[in-house]
Amino acid sequence: MSELLALAARIVDRAASGEAIEAFVTHEREFEVKAYDGAVETSSAAEPRGAGVRVVTDHRVGFAFTTDLTEAGLDTALGDARENARHTTPDDAVGLPEPEDVSGELPDMFDRSILEETAETKAAFAVELERVTRQADPRIRTVEEAGYSDSVTDVAIASTTGIAAAYQRSDAWCYSIAIAEDGGDTEVGFEFDLARSLSGLDSAEVGRRAAERALRVLGATKIPSARIPVVFDPYTAAQFLGVIARVMTGEAVQKGRSLFAGRLGEQVAAEGIDLVDDGRAVGAPGAAAWDDEGVPTRRTEVIRDGILSSFLYDTVSARRDGRASTANAARSGFKTPPGPSPSNMAFDPTGGSRDDVMRSGGRALLVQDFHGVHSGANPISGDFSVGITGALLENGEVGRPVKEVTIAAPMLDILRNITAVADDRRWLPFGGSFGGATTLVSEMTVAGS
Amino acid sequence: MLDEGVVSRVLSEAAAGGADLAELFVEDRRTSGLRLEDRRVEDVVSGRDAGAGIRVLTGDKASYAHTNLLDEGSLLEAARAARAGSATSAPVAMADLRRVEGVAVHPVRLRPEDVPTGDKAEALRAADESARAAGGEVRQVVVSYMDVRQRLLIASTDGRWATDDRTRVRFAAQVVATRNGSIATGFEAPGHSGGYELLEERPAAEIGSRAAAKAVRMLDAKPSPAGEFPVVLAPGAGGVLIHEACGHGLEGDTLAKDASVYAGRVGERFGSDSVTIVDDGTDKGAWGSFGVDDEGTPAHRTILIEKGVLVGHMNDRRSAAKLSAPDRTGNGRRQSYAHLPIVRMTNTYLLPGPDDHEEIVSSVERGVYAAAFAGGEVNPATGNFVFGMSEAYWIENGERAFPIKGANLIGNGPQVLNVIDAVGADFARWEGVCGKDGQHAPVTNGMPTVLLGRMTVGGTEA
Repeated sequence: MSELLALAARIVDRAASGEAIEAFVTHEREFEVKAYDGAVETSSAAEPRGAGVRVVTDHRVGFAFTTDLTEAGLDTALGDARENARHTTPDDAVGLPEPEDVSGELPDMFDRSILEETAETKAAFAVELERVTRQADPRIRTVEEAGYSDSVTDVAIASTTGIAAAYQRSDAWCYSIAIAEDGGDTEVGFEFDLARSLSGLDSAEVGRRAAERALRVLGATKIPSARIPVVFDPYTAAQFLGVIARVMTGEAVQKGRSLFAGRLGEQVAAEGIDLVDDGRAVGAPGAAAWDDEGVPTRRTEVIRDGILSSFLYDTVSARRDGRASTANAARSGFKTPPGPSPSNMAFDPTGGSRDDVMRSGGRALLVQDFHGVHSGANPISGDFSVGITGALLENGEVGRPVKEVTIAAPMLDILRNITAVADDRRWLPFGGSFGGATTLVSEMTVAGS
Repeated sequence: MLDEGVVSRVLSEAAAGGADLAELFVEDRRTSGLRLEDRRVEDVVSGRDAGAGIRVLTGDKASYAHTNLLDEGSLLEAARAARAGSATSAPVAMADLRRVEGVAVHPVRLRPEDVPTGDKAEALRAADESARAAGGEVRQVVVSYMDVRQRLLIASTDGRWATDDRTRVRFAAQVVATRNGSIATGFEAPGHSGGYELLEERPAAEIGSRAAAKAVRMLDAKPSPAGEFPVVLAPGAGGVLIHEACGHGLEGDTLAKDASVYAGRVGERFGSDSVTIVDDGTDKGAWGSFGVDDEGTPAHRTILIEKGVLVGHMNDRRSAAKLSAPDRTGNGRRQSYAHLPIVRMTNTYLLPGPDDHEEIVSSVERGVYAAAFAGGEVNPATGNFVFGMSEAYWIENGERAFPIKGANLIGNGPQVLNVIDAVGADFARWEGVCGKDGQHAPVTNGMPTVLLGRMTVGGTEA
């Protein structure tokens, strides 16, 4: 048993009779370095650890967390969780999951080479990423920031229902923000990559693409208002998924805050469109052997051939609907109790490359960046109206750059009008883990001049 | 929180390899939060997060390490880790530690930790009941309460020894209303730097009913027209526009990188004589206030735009040094000990002007009244912004004719200051949480009623 799992078990062992306890303990080793103007600007190293405790008594649940992992600190957290449980409303659905007889192991979660990379190597990578971005084109005026981060995370979950799970993962990622300037216009290009360790990242490619994204929209202007086809690039496609994913949980539906409420079995997307949540997607940032309640992860078809076929559940929301968890319990670290959330969600490709999909729109608007998604997109009402930066497409050729326009349509109309998803999927951690691919929406309202 | 001897030894260890400055930030944060949804108090959570961050500054470089073990051995280890990330330069001597003076105080009358959890749960239920009383259209009510007490010690090799004890309380109600297939939401979330007395000043039931009234009103909303119109910004909520369109571009770190549209433009006119904008971390009891910032600099009131002319900007230690700014403005903030400080706004206000707020509305023939924004986003390099309106009305012949939905405002920061045609004599604050570089900070936006002469409004009606 790992040291962390032993700690989680020690918390669970304190359970009184009639009481269910779950302990979630993490220990991370983090490093990050940012480069600016040819040199390291900041670097940071840390080894945070902490525990979150859930107590269930008489169908009431309480939660407390602590960074004080001494026996006294754990006692305090447990006492607080018990006290907190006294004030929640009793609910028959509340409870901890039972262990499942499934081998939860997931390969390729940890790359040992991450332990051998020195701080100097990582710093050199960030500096190189900044340099290649800056030198990609004379019109790149500066690089706002280029950075490398990694973490090695140990997670352990134990409960009085018999769950005892532990795993280790490594994550490395890098990004670069290019600022291009020409003829009085300034534009920004962001690019990102992730892998299990530094050796899986390519600074030259990330730098080149960051510059390319800034340059593509340099000189952008407004276009006249119109109703035209819109092509989301992988970034904006992933962001759009992030918006609708928030209301694809059973909990959002049960609580009347989902535009998908009451639509199970209905045609919500075009025929041939599949939307899948896969907790075990290889290489995806949200992949794990177990969800954050210790339930083995799986694959769930949310939309099958355009038909809404399932919502996503953690244990409590599943019990409310009289069904099993889909292993979608997630936490943002040890400080929060688990709640339902997509793991890795993406549309399956419909066939065709990025070029094919871009061509199929005829005269269309390519959307490279959204602005104001968190305010302009409301997945409860289904309103979607956001600012964009992008370019006009003429039969697949990228033409005149466009900015300061908004695109709008009810979200369900956008879903129904998605007619092609290219095979260029990338996993992007934009408020979750979403697979973005070049995606054609056959018509949206563009508001410009 | 820590003995002075321990602090000195940790700082000396951090600076031993050479540095311009070494700094220790120690935090003990206790939070409690409750959430009601679907008529049930579902989450009651509390916790303690204590730790320390050690920063070593060498030239333009900052090296950082943090730990949540606060014994001397762990702190010394973190000090060595911070040092290892730093290039060597001339060693810095440890100056005598002296307490920072002139610290603003934000009184706490009712300590939240002394209020029984049952009372807080009762407040949630009161807000839920009053929201549901607004009518049969109310379908869902989410109410949350949170309090946080953050005790800080910040010490550095230049002799700075600053402490702060911050308490913040916030109460939020979100209401979903439906009628004939249309869905609308209403949100109300007051907060302050102070204690549980917030709920005496702003009773829970009133917060619930206000959020519900908004949601029910917005059920009648028609799709927003798209095009160029005059826009009236409501007092308070409209301040997010100033925060995003002007404030972020005047943060010193962005200026120092020449990544701001305002860089090198001090003295330039951006708006009329009626436009004065300040950032004020000293505003007593305001949500974004504090005693000292997260580098130990006392909170400060900084004038950014004075009578239309750019006169100042916000700094932390590093940006002040890079910009050769004489003054530190108390804008170095961090989300927690696990984060490096960056330049952040506190309470950012467009000050009241000479115009009558009712006359501002009646002067508009056809336009938009923006009562609340759902948030916004700006690119500091270009000044371009987009704001979604969560509550807005169409103005016809000087009257608020009907609510509109799906409206957003798009434009450019410097340009928006230039189209401020009238500034009301009223004033209101709006509390929010600002995200920057992945860090969250409590901020207040404040402003009077303001008329923007001509803005691009994005909507669903082309």
